[in-house]
Amino acid sequence: MSANEASEALPTPRKPVVNSLTEEAGIWLFVIKTLLAYYLTGWIAMRLALPQPSSAMLTTIIVANRQSGMVLAKSFYRGIGTLAGAAAAFLIVGLFPQQREPFLIALSLWVGLCAGGATLYRNFKSYGFVLAGYTAAIIAIPVIGNPPDVFDSAVARISEVLLGLLVSGVVNDTVFPSRMRDVLRRTARAQFAHFIGFVQRSAGGNVARDAIQNMHLRFVRDAVTLEDLRSSVVFEDADAHARSGHMLLLNQRFMAASTSFQSLHHLINRLQRSGQDVVAQALLELYAPIGTALDTPIEGGAAMRVLLPRLVTARQTMDALAPALRDRLGSDTQASDFDTGASLLSRFAGELHAYVDTAAALQSPALPAGSIERVRFTYGVDFRDAGLATLRTTLTMLALAAFWIGSEWPMGASAMLIATVFAGLFATRQNPTQAAGALAGGYAIGMSAAFVCLFFVLTRMDGYTLFVAGSAPFLAVGLLMMMWPSVAGLGLGYSMGFVYILTVKNTMVFDPVNFINEAVAQVVGVSASAIAFIVVPPAIGSRWLRRRQLERLRRQVGLAAKAPLPGLRHRFESVNHDLFSQIVAQTELGSNDSRSLLAWALAVHETGRALIELRNDMMNGQLPSDLSRLIDRAVEALARFYEGPDAATYLSARDTVSSAIVAASAHVSARPLLDHLQLIRLGLLDRDSVLADYMPAAPMAGEIDHAS
Amino acid sequence: MPREIVFGDALIPGLLVLFVLSLVVLWLIDWVAGRFGLYRLVWHPSLFRLALFVCVFGSLALLLF
Repeated sequence: MSANEASEALPTPRKPVVNSLTEEAGIWLFVIKTLLAYYLTGWIAMRLALPQPSSAMLTTIIVANRQSGMVLAKSFYRGIGTLAGAAAAFLIVGLFPQQREPFLIALSLWVGLCAGGATLYRNFKSYGFVLAGYTAAIIAIPVIGNPPDVFDSAVARISEVLLGLLVSGVVNDTVFPSRMRDVLRRTARAQFAHFIGFVQRSAGGNVARDAIQNMHLRFVRDAVTLEDLRSSVVFEDADAHARSGHMLLLNQRFMAASTSFQSLHHLINRLQRSGQDVVAQALLELYAPIGTALDTPIEGGAAMRVLLPRLVTARQTMDALAPALRDRLGSDTQASDFDTGASLLSRFAGELHAYVDTAAALQSPALPAGSIERVRFTYGVDFRDAGLATLRTTLTMLALAAFWIGSEWPMGASAMLIATVFAGLFATRQNPTQAAGALAGGYAIGMSAAFVCLFFVLTRMDGYTLFVAGSAPFLAVGLLMMMWPSVAGLGLGYSMGFVYILTVKNTMVFDPVNFINEAVAQVVGVSASAIAFIVVPPAIGSRWLRRRQLERLRRQVGLAAKAPLPGLRHRFESVNHDLFSQIVAQTELGSNDSRSLLAWALAVHETGRALIELRNDMMNGQLPSDLSRLIDRAVEALARFYEGPDAATYLSARDTVSSAIVAASAHVSARPLLDHLQLIRLGLLDRDSVLADYMPAAPMAGEIDHAS
Repeated sequence: MPREIVFGDALIPGLLVLFVLSLVVLWLIDWVAGRFGLYRLVWHPSLFRLALFVCVFGSLALLLF
């Protein structure tokens, strides 16, 4: 009896042990794979007699990652960056072979420009830019005294880096690969289940504003995560590559559907608050078929497809239900509010169907034939931020160059090289000052370890096998540290410092004096780049940047109002999501900043989408010229209000929208436009939204009904 | 095919050109295989790809020697 109990109780305590063992195994697998790639690269580089096997070996450390897809993606952009940097080095050396001042200025400028360019991109694309910058420095600085060597230097650098990438790629792709594709699939499925579940649950009743805000946060995070994963997974797997277009489309449709969904709930909430409970109730009844259609378990397999016919039926039911519900309403005002909601609901149902359709297509083993709509995920870019990064990096480089020339320090070149590398690597970090500190600390520890390894261990070792045996334990410490989140930066610094200063060569040179000189120069370089971030503070995370980002988010309404229509909806959604997720990553959750930000994001999102739909319908319909002029004026006034929100622009936006509604309700052909305008007006009048600050103090009598 | 190709004034090994060429070939094969899900029929897709690349590159390189 007791034995029975014991055996039943066993799995519970065993579980954490098994879990932690699996986790440990993953970490050690990473260490072993990285070491394998590292030493294999070193061995091949020495067999090929490359001048600096150590830089090929360093490459394998830099691209090391647990996920194979990440390694391949980073390798790809590292390769491109190296080639671009080599080309730039040729050009700079060719232009100023004999004049060191213009040479250093041109080089600093190039590195700065690349650092600036890096802030315009996300993921590994920005890494490619950084690399193009410092590769030029790595190639050009050592040959400053002897320009004709630049060709050999470039060829050596390119071969070393490409060799490192090739070996890393092959090792990570074939030796127990850990696939990101599964993570991507899980994420996409979780996103789908979560969204469908949410839509289904909220069919029953109203959703509080807080819940909508949290939901928005979650949806944005989902969309951005999915895009991040997708951009790396395409390197890992041919299947994923073939589906990349579908993934993009899925994400765009997800964003579109979730925006309409939010607008719908805002509308229902507003109606309820303004005492139009009957209308809200009617809309909820109209909404019910969607809830019923989605009320089926979706788990794995081909199950997503079963939702499609159910959704089609739901839409038919809704179309049949709408006139009956409309007739039940008393006044014209209520009927017109109901129409607004009904058209929004049918837009949402259409988008939901499209989203489920794409998800089902992705799930099926063979891709459906025929081409799909081509979409892309556009990022919100800020050229002023890029300018700041350019300025900072260029100044760091120039200061070091001036110091080098002024002091005639023989190790100046090393210091400058290291500073370039690190200034570039930090430029795109979330919190560069802290990261630079951790990395610099790790770097110093790594160099001390290298001193011990080089002069106490490796002096007794002969041959490659013994070299591996002598240095692997030291390196494994750094790689292990990289896997512990709390000391990851320190670990990366340690590994890089260790590998870089070890300068493994075919014939090892043991020269403590040179080692210490080199170490001092490298520490100066790392510190210089860390100091640069304190002197020219990183824009990322500052109040100034946050304000600017908020302004840009608001200006998105202007984009929705003015930009050319083709592809605008995707552009608007993806830039919105990117901007929003950037700001969210930089604000503390629950702080005042974050609350006002969320409120603005919701308002921008809703109004922008409504504007785009409005403009689309205007394009397609034939409108009398006076009406379209009125609507244009309303659209302009809205854009002006969001660009510079104050009481005056608010009033002008509200009044022009109202008069456009009056004019539109006189025309039968303007029926669909009326719905969008109503939606915008209701959003403008919402006293719970962020716009309340700009409204006149007391609602004037009749203001609400003024246009209806 | 010559073993070394003159480009500008630099000698480029013919093998490098063939290497890039085989990468392009592999990319084409990848595209087709991804479109029709052929890699699902293979036990270890990335090992298979590597082997395929070695075959392509090796047989092209035989043209040189």
